[in-house]
Amino acid sequence: MRAATTVNRPRGRGFGPEWSWLAGIVVLECAVLALLEPSFLTQFNLYVVLRGVAVTLLVAFAQLVVLAIGQLNLSVGAIGGLVAVCTGGLMEVWGMPTLPAVVLGLLLGTAAGFINGALTARTGINGFVITLATASAFTGITIGLNNAEPFYDLPARYVAFGQAQLGPIPAIGFVTLLVVLGLAFFFGRVVMGRQILAVGGNARAAALSGIPVDRVVIAAHALSGFLAAVAAILLMARLGSAQPSIGSDWLLPSFAIPIVGGVALAGGGAPVLTTVLAAFLIALIDNGLVLTKADPYWIQFLLGAIILGAVGLNRLRTVAESRDARRLGVAG
Amino acid sequence: MSMPGCSRCRTGCRVARATRLLDRLGLFAVIFLFWTAFVSFADGFLSGVTIFGLSRGIAITVVIGLAQMIVLSIGQMNLAIGAIGGMVGVATGWLMQVVGLPVWLAVGVGLAIGAVTGWLNGWLVTRTGINSFVVTLGMGSVVTGLVFILTRAEAFRDLPRAYTQFGKVRLVEIGWFEISPLFVVALAVTGAVALLYRGTVLGRRLLATGANERAARLSGVPVDQVVRTAHALSGLLAGLAGIMLVSRLGSALPSVGEDWLLPSFAAPIVGGTLLSGGAVAVVGTLLGAVLIDSVSVGLTLLNVPSFWIQLFVGLVLLLAVLLDRARTVAIAHGRAGAAGAMGPAAATGSAEAATPGAAR
Repeated sequence: MRAATTVNRPRGRGFGPEWSWLAGIVVLECAVLALLEPSFLTQFNLYVVLRGVAVTLLVAFAQLVVLAIGQLNLSVGAIGGLVAVCTGGLMEVWGMPTLPAVVLGLLLGTAAGFINGALTARTGINGFVITLATASAFTGITIGLNNAEPFYDLPARYVAFGQAQLGPIPAIGFVTLLVVLGLAFFFGRVVMGRQILAVGGNARAAALSGIPVDRVVIAAHALSGFLAAVAAILLMARLGSAQPSIGSDWLLPSFAIPIVGGVALAGGGAPVLTTVLAAFLIALIDNGLVLTKADPYWIQFLLGAIILGAVGLNRLRTVAESRDARRLGVAG
Repeated sequence: MSMPGCSRCRTGCRVARATRLLDRLGLFAVIFLFWTAFVSFADGFLSGVTIFGLSRGIAITVVIGLAQMIVLSIGQMNLAIGAIGGMVGVATGWLMQVVGLPVWLAVGVGLAIGAVTGWLNGWLVTRTGINSFVVTLGMGSVVTGLVFILTRAEAFRDLPRAYTQFGKVRLVEIGWFEISPLFVVALAVTGAVALLYRGTVLGRRLLATGANERAARLSGVPVDQVVRTAHALSGLLAGLAGIMLVSRLGSALPSVGEDWLLPSFAAPIVGGTLLSGGAVAVVGTLLGAVLIDSVSVGLTLLNVPSFWIQLFVGLVLLLAVLLDRARTVAIAHGRAGAAGAMGPAAATGSAEAATPGAAR
């Protein structure tokens, strides 16, 4: 395990400043919104922001775990849609109680991710194209299962859970919180989590240190599918119906949030905490646009601009860091 | 570089030659099989209406596929093809309807907008060294956002007749063989791109950059300039596809290009373009587009629900990348064999040929 720790150390150094930067921006956003729009601080609005974050954060994590091994997953949304329709179908058509249906839905998402991982690892083909193809296949099944119709007849208690709130905090937010803690623990303390970071940092070095690279790649993709399934199941509870369109607009946020959170696209890092802050940063911009009744299309424009800006900044920082490192090397 | 065992290279050579032959013949054979099946079982497949619709559909898919293929040839990708196509389509419609420019000028300006946007992608990639995936993902989102903000999701429907007729008339009409002029445009573009890769310095440089960027740079290829040119050409073709689709639809909808991501990769990859860069299949992209569009139209005529078609396209793409992988391995073996036979000079001088796997 020493190899994995070494691989991860350089990224740990830049973590502090990045964390405070993002937190600062989020606080600033809150202050500006509170001053400009009195309705921002109402309990209902805070609830709306939090329930949005509860789902998009999981979508971002589904991408983050694959980015951590230096790959991409274009099928996060397609898996979400597939899980939603299948879980909804189990509940409505087969009358399955909530718990087994949800468990089967989570298994399905994991299995879909496993297929992505197995195809990528076994063939060595770029994960981009594999997941582009499987996304099309998954979406085809999603639309076909119920002829693009949603399932509306979900168990009352399940839907009630999706609407429940504790003050401004939505009940589904606690599930997301659990996932945040779980992921932080997974990447910090669990062998498989460390191995994912090691493979992302340098797959060859990881293989030479005895890490089963193929198995790690498959695990990362399966975890990605699992997280997409959790997102879909929470969103379904919130909407009160299993829409086949669930996941169709996840592609952009799934990349935007981890990138703003400072993930290295080359792999090797999984900054869970900054990803959480980034999800808030983007959700607050979205909320600001809604509150000021701006054109909803601005969010798409801004998300794109934020992606370009964030990667540009990351790049600048990397260049500056390597210059610092070189100077230190000369001095020492 | 270590050479694999001699027997292995000889097999590799044979496999490489076989897969190359299979690429050409195989795709023809697959298309032929599907056409035979559709002609026999799908009522009305071989009718004027169907063939005309197919010629229009294929025309647009080919241009989209070539737009992606050019960027794939340098080992990068362009996720903004649909966004650029939509923007250029809407901008051209606006120039004709609101500004009142003549058709040729509006189309010229539209193509220029596409090329400039593509160039901007390339500039961002070369200036920042960021992955083309992220740059074009961000750029695509910015462009689509802008289009919807500026048009308020309204279409331009009052376009000059000369322009909309181009997408509606039949150029050739012999029995069931009815061909749209759009298809001729696509053939001309395919020919031009084939010439670019066969006969020009730029074409060789694109392939050299895709095969091994470092080697290309060391051999004096202006890699940054080549990357920017590739993205600009990709934007130009994406814009052309947008203009063609608007002419076919008869109105400039902002939703043009929304569903281009999958076909843009499927056509060149099914056609045999390497994902890792350095090798292209121009005619293959045309055949890939013919296959994808024929299958969608044929299955629709057979009353197969549309979701099966989406599933099918996904599976075809998956199969194609698996073949791509086999082909890459085979070429690597073949090249290793050839290098062994011709000595080290052949190995060093072949930066302009396919060196797969460098950027994977």
